[in-house]
Amino acid sequence: MAKKATPTTTTYSPSPTVHKTRPSLFRTDDVNWVRPDGRGFHQCRPAFFRTGAVNAASGSAYAEFGNTKVIVSVFGPRESKKAMMYSDIGRLNCSVSYTTFSTPVRGQGSENKDFSSMLHKSLEGAIILESFPKTTVDVFALVLESGGSDLPVVISCASLALADAGIMLYDLVASVSVSCFGKNLLIDTVLEEENYQDGSLMITCMPSRYEVTQLTITGEWTTSKINEGMQLCLDASCKLVEIMRSCLKESAVTISEE
Amino acid sequence: MVGLSTGEKLFIQAGIAQDLRTDGRGRLTYRPISIETDVISQANGSARVRMGGTEVIATVKAELGRPNPMQPDKGKVSISVDCSPTAEPAFEGRGGEELSTELSIALERCLLGGKSGSGAGIDLSSLIVVEGKLCWDLYIEGLVVSSEGNLLDALGAAIKAALSNTGIPKVHVAAEALDNEQPEVDVSDEEFLQFDTSGVPAIVTLTKVGKHYIVDATLEEESQMSSAVSISIDRHGHICGLTKRGGVGVDPSIILDMISVGKHVSEELLNKLDSEIVAAEADEEE
Repeated sequence: MAKKATPTTTTYSPSPTVHKTRPSLFRTDDVNWVRPDGRGFHQCRPAFFRTGAVNAASGSAYAEFGNTKVIVSVFGPRESKKAMMYSDIGRLNCSVSYTTFSTPVRGQGSENKDFSSMLHKSLEGAIILESFPKTTVDVFALVLESGGSDLPVVISCASLALADAGIMLYDLVASVSVSCFGKNLLIDTVLEEENYQDGSLMITCMPSRYEVTQLTITGEWTTSKINEGMQLCLDASCKLVEIMRSCLKESAVTISEE
Repeated sequence: MVGLSTGEKLFIQAGIAQDLRTDGRGRLTYRPISIETDVISQANGSARVRMGGTEVIATVKAELGRPNPMQPDKGKVSISVDCSPTAEPAFEGRGGEELSTELSIALERCLLGGKSGSGAGIDLSSLIVVEGKLCWDLYIEGLVVSSEGNLLDALGAAIKAALSNTGIPKVHVAAEALDNEQPEVDVSDEEFLQFDTSGVPAIVTLTKVGKHYIVDATLEEESQMSSAVSISIDRHGHICGLTKRGGVGVDPSIILDMISVGKHVSEELLNKLDSEIVAAEADEEE
């Protein structure tokens, strides 16, 4: 693995048409607001993906977005447990866990107990479950380091791992979140920002089918803001999926060369 | 869970497509709602909500606790839901656990707002007694008594009613305590503070069956859903939370359409809930 030098990862941002009226003020009083890592409001962190991180798994992927580092392994399809009832479509089993050292305070990651079910709901719609009846596919995600926007990274990484495992998919799933701070929308927030956000919106979608598989919103939002946030996320997802696709192509080329 | 024949399934789907559902309702009509408050005397506030065959109880218990050091000026609220096997044999043992967690997380997302507290139905700073030392911890618990579909909306309504029924005892802080000591308090059992529940949003779940979406789906209708979107909307028409159930992908424009329909429905629902809560409170006083 990792024979090649790390490719120069480029940051990506949704098309500039959306932020014509990009707000220059943060919470109206802080004129010189800059994000902790110096990005623009609508600029995502550089995304880095690599498939084949775990040898024992059918497929695996590693993702690194700034400080958020995630590893996902996919096992199966293998026979469903005996206790399970007969099913003519396949089952998907998802689990997200945090390492104890992933968060500033030790063991804080276990607070996110709903991530497993969120991952399941996000991927379910993209997998052609009919292609592996009576069997189960396990998706295990481990957050090595939590640097903010963990769930979107986990979801994108998991879909890449599924593709690496050769599980039939309708499309790759990409996920992006935006947070709302006063009047401003910030994309792909880091941990420091997440603690002060007024609200957040996360979309997981299949860009080539232009379908949303999962959407969650918290905090107070107006309809126009939801609209703006969704457009930002969808646009960013389209660009993210391109990066994911090129990673898959790259690994295919490496294999054929060997 | 629900055993339906092909004929029944088609009947439900075709009915929804023609805006006439199996129980005679239109697509955007709720089943009759009835609310009863103060049903559990042990709790600080409680309510029972019936929505057709669905019946849930919500209780609010307040306990004195220490505020989170990260947010010394705020109290704490936790929401949990219990699916009792009395409602459905499948809920026995760990069977109801998955549904319980899904419901409680959806409720927390819909009612508690963002990290900074905006969009929250409950003003957390009103729960503080002594800053950094003493606050009220609200434990909101929902119980599913009978499950006939649309649990989330019913639980949301029950929590809203229970909160408006909640009285938090007045606390007299005895003397100035030293910096690192807990202050001595005297909890009054006569004087109660009432909550302002005008900001608590209502939850509207739109269930997509075929090309159309319906509100207040019954269990049979829920079994035919492709996906469902639950939106919590407050009096001002602001969206305070949104979750999607079901893994099937939906076009973004349909979601936006669902949000605007949800907004329209929520106005009626909020009015209905408010009048029911007022009526229930009046009943109780008699």
